[in-house]
Amino acid sequence: MVTSIKGNATSTFGGNVDVPQIITDAPAFSATSSANTSASSGVLTKLVLNTEQFDTNSNFDNATNYRFTPTVAGYYQINAVLISPSNATATVADIYKNGSTYVSTVFYHPTVGVTQRFPISALIYLNGSTDYVELYGLQNGGTVLVAGSMMNGVLVKAV
Amino acid sequence: MALYDKILAVRPNLTQEDFMPEGTIMLQNDSDGKGDYIREWNHPTETKPTQEELDGVA
Repeated sequence: MVTSIKGNATSTFGGNVDVPQIITDAPAFSATSSANTSASSGVLTKLVLNTEQFDTNSNFDNATNYRFTPTVAGYYQINAVLISPSNATATVADIYKNGSTYVSTVFYHPTVGVTQRFPISALIYLNGSTDYVELYGLQNGGTVLVAGSMMNGVLVKAV
Repeated sequence: MALYDKILAVRPNLTQEDFMPEGTIMLQNDSDGKGDYIREWNHPTETKPTQEELDGVA
């Protein structure tokens, strides 16, 4: 949607200018894990994102399901960072939509012995009622996904 | 013992790569207190272990 600024005979631009509408109430959230998430080696495990940094529309569940279920339909930019333990040899980060992989990245660690941070992001359509996103991770060689892993997102285009 | 280790114990021919996204087996944990489970098993030669086999691993 755009807002049109109408020009007139004395205006310097002499025509109409379309200005993209600024969504002032766009849902946005950021959540992180305050403790390690137990994760057996080789198991894709949902991150326990139990701490909200902000959640402007109260759409993130940080108590039970650790998921974002927005109530405004549209396209959302979802970002995440997964922290893998120092003894892992490989890491997978997945953004799930409605219980299945939407986007996945695989990292084979160049160095074992160093905690590694892996980013992942996606532009995802969410219907504003039942659609939800979650963060899953897999590591090989360790026993946890490290505290401080996080996910955030914001509505970039309502529909 | 974790499910991953039990599976490797009863199916020793499997490797780490079998459990990666491009692999044929997918284990999952939904952090809901129910633990690890086999979500997908599409290995071409190794059969999915039975619960009895898994329970037999110490």
